[in-house]
Amino acid sequence: MTRLRRAPGTATLDVDGTVYAASLPGGPIIVLEGIAALIWDEACAGDRETIVERVAAATDAPTDEIRAHVDAFVADLVARGLLE
Amino acid sequence: MSESEVSVPLAVRLRFGHAAVQHLAREIGVDLLHIKGSAVDPLLRPGGYAGSDVDVLVRPAHVAVLDRAMRQHGWRLYSSFENGSPFGHAQTYLHDVWGYVDVHRFFPGIRIAPDRAFERLWADRREIEIAETGCQVPSLTAQGVLLVLNAARSSVRSKPDVRIAWHEAPLERRAEMEALVADLDAPVAFAAATGALEHYRRERDYGLWRIVSQGGSRSAEWWARVRAAPSLGVAIRVVARAPLVNVDHLAHRLGRRPSRAEIVAEFFRRPARAVREAWQGLRRVGASR
Repeated sequence: MTRLRRAPGTATLDVDGTVYAASLPGGPIIVLEGIAALIWDEACAGDRETIVERVAAATDAPTDEIRAHVDAFVADLVARGLLE
Repeated sequence: MSESEVSVPLAVRLRFGHAAVQHLAREIGVDLLHIKGSAVDPLLRPGGYAGSDVDVLVRPAHVAVLDRAMRQHGWRLYSSFENGSPFGHAQTYLHDVWGYVDVHRFFPGIRIAPDRAFERLWADRREIEIAETGCQVPSLTAQGVLLVLNAARSSVRSKPDVRIAWHEAPLERRAEMEALVADLDAPVAFAAATGALEHYRRERDYGLWRIVSQGGSRSAEWWARVRAAPSLGVAIRVVARAPLVNVDHLAHRLGRRPSRAEIVAEFFRRPARAVREAWQGLRRVGASR
């Protein structure tokens, strides 16, 4: 099982369902709305291997259709140093 | 993922600004307290007004280290201690992402030495979360005192701070605030905000706080500063600074760094303005006789 978490030095704010995240001290501030915010929440909440299933369950989307997009998005968050 | 074209609300950006400065301070071992804005306890600011910049009070011995680190991490000096405010208490930085940060090396109105004042406030500090980042803030009592002292030199907008932090505070907290004001030796500025300034007519800084809180000409303010100076050396520095051109303000007014010729022109314009103000003051005095 692989768990992701907010990287040390990542600041976040949730304002009315919009997630703002930034790597400190340089930024930038990333704005995550809608599905992006949902993926962030799920990425921080459980096993990395099941993020796609949990996002699919929350959005009634077919797992196969969203898998590549969700995986790429999560990989980008990790590459930006926001998650580890 | 949304990037550069998305606007981030100012209130959000300011909270990240607090977090960014705190993160940097922790990395380099600098002690600082977040004051005003988002750092204020909701009990004192029920409306949640976050201000327009981030304010931090830094342990005076750590100011130079923080200044170096901030410049290395994208903050640009916007106005210096010397040119930022007549008190010389804060210097402003601007960051492309986080916006403005005011770094305070002391707080106007507090008359004990800045390092002792910081230590007094630091001893009672507590930690709050801003953007999921632990930030050190003064105690509730100290926040109340700082808001009131700040209101003494602020516009009408700060008056609700005085009402909530002082006039409507529970008796127990008011007693704690009075004790802290005594510890910090800040009675005159505190009284200027709470309406009791006339009790301090004999204090050397009475005139300064009367002008700062109630208004007056620039030259009258400079004379009040000279009278308020705790020593002859400080008074001489105040006088010596008076005729200097505030290059930072001139640059912001022009929208670019001023040329040498423009600084010289401003140098000669300012004494003329001071003379004009003095002349107007004399005329007012004459007219009232």
